[in-house]
Amino acid sequence: MSENVKSPTWKEALLDPIIANNPIMIQILGICSSLAVTSSMSTAFVMGIAVCCVCSIANTAVSITRNYIPGSVRIIAQMTIIASLVILVDQVLKAFAYDLSKQLSVYVGLIITNCIVMGRTEGFALKYPPVPSFFDGLGNGLGYMLVLCLVATIREVFGSGTWFGMTIMPTVNNGGWYVPCGMMVMPPCAFFLIGCLIWLVKTFRKDLQEKPEYETHQEDF
Amino acid sequence: MLKLDKNSVPGTFVIITGFCLVCSVLVSSAVVVLDPFKAEAVANDRKVNILRVSGFEEQGKIADVYAKHIDARLIKVASGEFADQGLSKEEVDGYNFASLAKQPKTSEAIPSDQDVAGLRNRSTLMPVYFSHGDDGKVQRVILPFYGQALWSTAYGYMAVAPDGNSIQGITFYSHGETPGLGGEIDNPRWQALWVGKRFTDEQGAYKVRITKNPSQKDFDVDSLSGATLTSRGVDNAVHYWFGNAYRPFLDKLRKGEFDLDAAAKGESK
Repeated sequence: MSENVKSPTWKEALLDPIIANNPIMIQILGICSSLAVTSSMSTAFVMGIAVCCVCSIANTAVSITRNYIPGSVRIIAQMTIIASLVILVDQVLKAFAYDLSKQLSVYVGLIITNCIVMGRTEGFALKYPPVPSFFDGLGNGLGYMLVLCLVATIREVFGSGTWFGMTIMPTVNNGGWYVPCGMMVMPPCAFFLIGCLIWLVKTFRKDLQEKPEYETHQEDF
Repeated sequence: MLKLDKNSVPGTFVIITGFCLVCSVLVSSAVVVLDPFKAEAVANDRKVNILRVSGFEEQGKIADVYAKHIDARLIKVASGEFADQGLSKEEVDGYNFASLAKQPKTSEAIPSDQDVAGLRNRSTLMPVYFSHGDDGKVQRVILPFYGQALWSTAYGYMAVAPDGNSIQGITFYSHGETPGLGGEIDNPRWQALWVGKRFTDEQGAYKVRITKNPSQKDFDVDSLSGATLTSRGVDNAVHYWFGNAYRPFLDKLRKGEFDLDAAAKGESK
């Protein structure tokens, strides 16, 4: 295999995906689950941890076996590893965090289809040795978790007046003064928030803006 | 050792078979090892929810409080009679009516004119939980109920006074409603609105309902703002279970047909 390709150091592999190559904001992967689980902080946090675990272990496992995986069925082989890990995580959550696993319901299982995990095993772990692969998986998981937690903080505080279930602004329903913003608890809101985050990041990090791939034709009016 | 080309057809088969074997052993052993913990978590969750409407504070270990104050029995829904002969205490306690409702042997079809909650089938037997104080006197009868809300099936427990008519508590232990809107069915302040309401009036007509403008103090529960469909779903579920399905059992309670304290201990049929 192409062992002569220069591998990124573990530090690069870990830190790069947190902002500069963030899976949600820059690679635009894993949007579906980030819309669904960000209405409260606790679910977003647990989902982030679950993705961190799956992503880093899947990357390591794929990287260790990368010289044995036949090219023709490599996607299936990766899928098998990822699916097994997700079932493990789901079982552990059901056994030790039953309440949270009820709230996350199908979304833990859907980590299998989360493009981040597959994208990293295919794009990174198949090429590089286990150590940087592990950190790349961890870094991408953390990048995902960062965005999830940012979005969930905004949604939970303004949508339910709480953060991690602790009351920040007592809502009218609970006898307080805050009228919750109903929009915040609906999934489309997460879409707008992620859009705003991408805008912010690309405004402050000009180097992350893509060049237009083609010029649109300008009419002379 | 035989040299195997990983990209040849036999090589691919051998490697993929190996992969699948390792992964399946990993997954199945995890499921087996974690199974007792999962069962424990499910049982614990049920106990917490039953205790929440039982009127007993969750002091100390949940399992201890539960064992001390709660007795479970099974009833035949259609007749309201007890039907748990030959079953162990654990089997009765954790009676999984939701999955048994899907099996033809243990379920009954609900006549369509009664099926206001849109369930189609329900378990023939349902568990009933009696909560009693230290003196052994039954204070509340806790009945499980469920129905289709907006996004999901909402599962809950209703605590009924020994008179078989007054509501003493309601809680939901599983639902997938929108947090902040339909999810407010979990709000203790809303659940408190149910306390003291009655299912039927003196003539025995089913009266309790969720409505936008509560006018009858004894029967009307204010609906949740921004969650009309969830409110309607809960209303239908309560209507089906307590207006139809549990009617025979509740009627027995109302008429005082059996000795409740003895029944809770499993001494009457």
